[in-house]
Amino acid sequence: MLKSKVFMLKTKKGSIMKIVREHYLRDDIWCGFLACELCSHDDEKQLPVLELSPPTSSNLCPGSHYLIPDTNVLLHQIDVIEDKSVTNVIILQTVLQEVRHRSAPCYKRIKDCIDDPGKHFYVFVNEFHKDTYVERLPGESSNDRNDRAIRISVMWYGKHLALSDDSLRVVLLTDDVANREQAKQNGIHAFSMKDYVKSLGNASDLIDKLSTDENKVIDGKPLYPEHLPLSQIQEGIKNGKYMQGTFQASRENYLEAYVNIRDEEHQVFIQGHDYVNRAIQDDLVAIEMLPEDEWTCPSSWVLEDEEEKGDEEDIKEDEIVRTSTGKKSKIPSGRVVGIIKRNWRQYCGMLQKSVLKGSNRHLFVAAERRIPKIRIETRQADVLDGQRIVVVIDSWPRTSRYPQGHFVRKLGNIGDKDTENEVLLLEHDVPHSSFSGAVLKCLPSLPWIITDDDLTHRVDVRHLPICSVDPPGCTDIDDALHCIELSNGNYQVGVHIADVSHFIRPGTAIDKEAANRGTTVYLIDKRIDMVPELLSSNLCSLRSEEDRFAFTVIWEMTKDAKILSTLFHKSIIRSKAALTYAEAQLRIDDKSMKDDVTEGLRRLNSLAKILKKIRIRNGALTLASQEVRFHIDSETHDPIDVQTKELRETNSMVEEFMLLANISVAEKILDEFPDCALLRRHPAPPASNFEPLIRVAETRGFKIDVSCGKALADSLDAANIQENPYFNTMLRILTTRCMMQAVYFCSGMCAKSDFPHYGLATPIYTHFTSPIRRYSDVIVHRLLAVAISADATYPELLDKHRSQSICNNLNYRHRMAQYAGRASVVLHTQIFFKNRILDEQGYVLFVRKNALQVLIPKYGLEGTVYLMDANQQTMFTYNEEESTQTCGDVSLHMFDPVTVQISIDSTNIQHQKLCMKLIKPVIPNFSVNPCQNITEDQPPNKKLKN
Amino acid sequence: MSSSSVVIPGQRICKVEEEHIAGIGTYVRNGFINSSLLGIVTFTPNKEDKQEVTVAHEREHSLVPTLGSLVTARVTNLNQRFCKCSILNVDGTNLIEPYSGIVRKEDVRATDKDKVEMYSSFRPGDIILARVLTYGDLQSFLLTTGENELGVVMATSEAGGSLVPISWNEMQCSKTGNKEYRKVARVQPRNVVINDG
Amino acid sequence: MASLDLLSDQGFRIDGRRPKELRKIQTKLGVFAQADGSAYIEQGNTKVLAAVYGPHEVRGGKSKVLHDKALLNCQYSMAVFSSGERKRRPRGDRKSMEMTQHLQQTFEAAILTHLYPKSQIDIFVEVLQSDGGNYCASVNAATLAVIDAGLPMKDYITACSASIVNDTPIVDINNFEESAGNLEILIAVLPKSSQIVFMEMNGKLHEDHLEKVIDMAMMGCSDVYDILDQSVRDHVSHLSSALCLNK
Repeated sequence: MLKSKVFMLKTKKGSIMKIVREHYLRDDIWCGFLACELCSHDDEKQLPVLELSPPTSSNLCPGSHYLIPDTNVLLHQIDVIEDKSVTNVIILQTVLQEVRHRSAPCYKRIKDCIDDPGKHFYVFVNEFHKDTYVERLPGESSNDRNDRAIRISVMWYGKHLALSDDSLRVVLLTDDVANREQAKQNGIHAFSMKDYVKSLGNASDLIDKLSTDENKVIDGKPLYPEHLPLSQIQEGIKNGKYMQGTFQASRENYLEAYVNIRDEEHQVFIQGHDYVNRAIQDDLVAIEMLPEDEWTCPSSWVLEDEEEKGDEEDIKEDEIVRTSTGKKSKIPSGRVVGIIKRNWRQYCGMLQKSVLKGSNRHLFVAAERRIPKIRIETRQADVLDGQRIVVVIDSWPRTSRYPQGHFVRKLGNIGDKDTENEVLLLEHDVPHSSFSGAVLKCLPSLPWIITDDDLTHRVDVRHLPICSVDPPGCTDIDDALHCIELSNGNYQVGVHIADVSHFIRPGTAIDKEAANRGTTVYLIDKRIDMVPELLSSNLCSLRSEEDRFAFTVIWEMTKDAKILSTLFHKSIIRSKAALTYAEAQLRIDDKSMKDDVTEGLRRLNSLAKILKKIRIRNGALTLASQEVRFHIDSETHDPIDVQTKELRETNSMVEEFMLLANISVAEKILDEFPDCALLRRHPAPPASNFEPLIRVAETRGFKIDVSCGKALADSLDAANIQENPYFNTMLRILTTRCMMQAVYFCSGMCAKSDFPHYGLATPIYTHFTSPIRRYSDVIVHRLLAVAISADATYPELLDKHRSQSICNNLNYRHRMAQYAGRASVVLHTQIFFKNRILDEQGYVLFVRKNALQVLIPKYGLEGTVYLMDANQQTMFTYNEEESTQTCGDVSLHMFDPVTVQISIDSTNIQHQKLCMKLIKPVIPNFSVNPCQNITEDQPPNKKLKN
Repeated sequence: MSSSSVVIPGQRICKVEEEHIAGIGTYVRNGFINSSLLGIVTFTPNKEDKQEVTVAHEREHSLVPTLGSLVTARVTNLNQRFCKCSILNVDGTNLIEPYSGIVRKEDVRATDKDKVEMYSSFRPGDIILARVLTYGDLQSFLLTTGENELGVVMATSEAGGSLVPISWNEMQCSKTGNKEYRKVARVQPRNVVINDG
Repeated sequence: MASLDLLSDQGFRIDGRRPKELRKIQTKLGVFAQADGSAYIEQGNTKVLAAVYGPHEVRGGKSKVLHDKALLNCQYSMAVFSSGERKRRPRGDRKSMEMTQHLQQTFEAAILTHLYPKSQIDIFVEVLQSDGGNYCASVNAATLAVIDAGLPMKDYITACSASIVNDTPIVDINNFEESAGNLEILIAVLPKSSQIVFMEMNGKLHEDHLEKVIDMAMMGCSDVYDILDQSVRDHVSHLSSALCLNK
């Protein structure tokens, strides 16, 4: 046993407590150099090692050398470090700890580098090495101490390596001039990142990736107020002067934002350049409340940062914004006084070339509208023009109107569908690389055979008339149903769910990958699977006439859908038919069909109707959201037609039984694992969320009661206007937007009173029925399997903290998948309208100060009709009280039907957007004439969900 | 194994065989004699031609009287039914801290038990030899002097002189020549331990 | 930061140890002249003093007397200055009482109490500085003190703690790991026969991991044994020469 002879005491003073910790220094830490004979090392364990003679192309430092970057280099130049040409880097523990402390995402990226055997990164644990440990001197700041520690380690390396191979050198990379000077005095080769990168042969690409120098701030008068130092912020938060929260920029107006105050429900409104003060989407900021007489309200302007403005130019929008502030409905407002933590990530977008010829400085426009433009420096502007590129922000000095950033990589041509999909996936942080070899190795080999052993552990129900009902073209069938009449007159209803947990064993590579992906992401023309295709579309997919493993829920029900008993077991099934919703509907409706499957469907259908009635009676909400379907041209893969999805009785039938299965399973697993069951809850929205809804409903004379889910459902049902059949659907769409997000959670981490699912009006809910496309269901399967003694537990399953962290990831992935799906719809809508100008009927969904938000039911499309011309002049008068825009004798209310002309505004090729112009009601000098090819279709009047 | 070496608790010394038996400071487990002390192990031959294995600690205090132990005690107080005494030595080992013992009236001698008078058997301050009878139900050990060899070995007379035994129940003061009654032990040299206290 | 790594990717713990390594152990036997036996132990920053008295007559009430064996009387106390915050009372609180019980149970398994019926053996343990593993250090110190006192015992008792971090068991956990982690297993064994005489677990652990953690703790115990054994032998080297001279 090796133990240090020397040991130091580390003292850390907290409030009053004095903490004494041991710190062992060792002599058995390997330097990472393979040929080193001085250090002991066990080869098998420490895999990522330095190459014996690292190749180099640097002319600053000829000859083989290893790089040792300091903390700031890692933090700011991670894009360069990540480049595959940068190899053989020694990461010191001191540096790694500092990085971890300062930026979690950066830390993760460095870890990925370390884990990549091709990068030859080695972590040297200098803090525990007896020769490289450095004690903080009295009066020395911890930064200086760390810099010194780094230099000592570099020196040690220099001497140490020379003993084995005197041609080897180590190079310290630091952008700190003082540090570099001191290093030179100590005889260390030290360069700034910039100089080093420039000296490399293949530099041009890397130079663009260099982060802009923070010191090189453009002189000029400060455009923004100063941020408070962190210490002052913390003090302010402690004594209540400031509050902290996440910054959420408005999508519609780049000068407006909300800050979600931490641990509190309410939001604080931020308006104007000075008050937003360089905060960027998702930053953790400190805000100060404004005195009440300075409170404002959202301007209802839809404002985009259009033209490139010089840094010096005064920011005149502020004035517009301020003057337009109405007298009433002021909401709590504040201003950003400082940034607690930046939450910058990589942004996809495109270059907006500088108007100046030959300039290296350009602006970058992010695809995400809530991100401001970013100034970057590149010499490849001509190449990057018309390309989707990835950029990160480095800093945002006070004197600069835009944040400074640097180029990371390019994705492909704008408008190219693959590129756009890539953008979409990157923007939503969807892991979409193909499955690694380790993952694929976990798959069962084909042909896959059911063994006798499997038979003994499973109930064989292959004789039952089981069928599946899914949308057309569905290849990942994860649920199937059956219903038979028992001899006692009751029904036996079975829901059979693909037994994915049989194939995905905990702790395997495939399990980890699936847990990370969390969900399958559906884009219009692409599906990003959570599990490899062999499972998702074959072994786990409950295809017809094939033996498959399933997890089965069996109920015995009376004909009035009263559940008498519930039973869970693993089974082997053989689906008799894989139907589409339409096919199933036809079978039910076709009186001549009398086979087992059809009879079963009819029984299920009748039960489902009763179940649904019960559910609605309990206060379940039926909400509307627009779902559309594109018909894709098989040749060009471009959308050729758009439809909203049709809903049939059978959709509802399948849904009812899935809900029932989920609820039954939720009860079972909560019963068995009160502390670590994975459940799904939907919090009741706070009453304030409903205020806009109540207001607009009142303009039409309806009262919406939001006191409870049941009251809300009833009042929504009552709100119908004869001449506007779409009104109800629109109300429901608005209601949906008032709702909170449903989330996964671990039962041990949440108060029991928070369990209920508001939307479904059930006291408890989980996801069990789609394990192929949701990881939550896989966990629930495992829990249930343990609960019925069909499987053994494993440690992580019962650890509520780990379960909760899985839930957090699932929630995030789930949300991102939804956003990605929607973004994909938008993308395809744009492609669809590329060469079309169509006139469509729509409805006014919102009335804004300078625009109308119009919903086109046919496409499920929402667009903006601007009421201003280029000079911000309008012929409309806006009535804030009633949310109307009036021009002459025409007045536009919310929910009014309108006809609009839809086209793609391609004036800016890089930033295409959907453009809507008003046709009807006709307003002279404003509305446009209908184009030739008027579509005669009536808007679909039928309600989306009954 | 050398005849004297340091052992530690739990250390195996030798097998329990014909020629070895476990003595003080050792215990037997799984057919082996193990040390229970830190100390020097010694092998002493005993009567039956066996080697008794003992471990001796630096400080040899740790003895508690057991049944049948021969103890040396000092009488501390006396009443008609019994006398109390503190045990100073057990089987030849001096104790660091004394244990208390009781000699009941009926245990003073083996015969004519009903005629025993405590006051004419012991006096406070007498040094007696006794044998442990039982652990007793109280705090003290029950001792007996009901053997010829047991009883008072040293005593002081009322006048302060030392008493010399003259018969099995009388002693004489060396100063005054007065006779005092005692339950006198017929001292056998190998049982005598001179106690300084 | 959200959660400090108790175990870094490079396989080091917060204080620079590897998962299998004990803290530095230093011992001294026979530190008090008054007591029959005494010992002092340092396990890292945990410092414990133990003293043993007896066997002697049972004090304080005849009811406590045991007829077939010695009464083992333990007392665990923590010096008021032993931890980060000054303690109000050094003993008698619930935790100390519990610890006292544990020590008593532990040592009853090893000391040959049946050799001393109707008598009493006292073991006093004082924690001078606490940095995790108080129980273990107390047991180890008391073992040494008992040996020093020359009380017969079956075997040493050595104790060691273990925990688990990211599926890797770690041994001899210090105060920081104790409070940051959510699990602690304490084990006391008779090292020669590998018998567990005492085991306590605080926190939750999946049964799959239990064996691993116990094995780790057992390994720790046997490492502790080697160290204690060595220190006892060092201590007696002078004794043996002294005894040899006597003869």
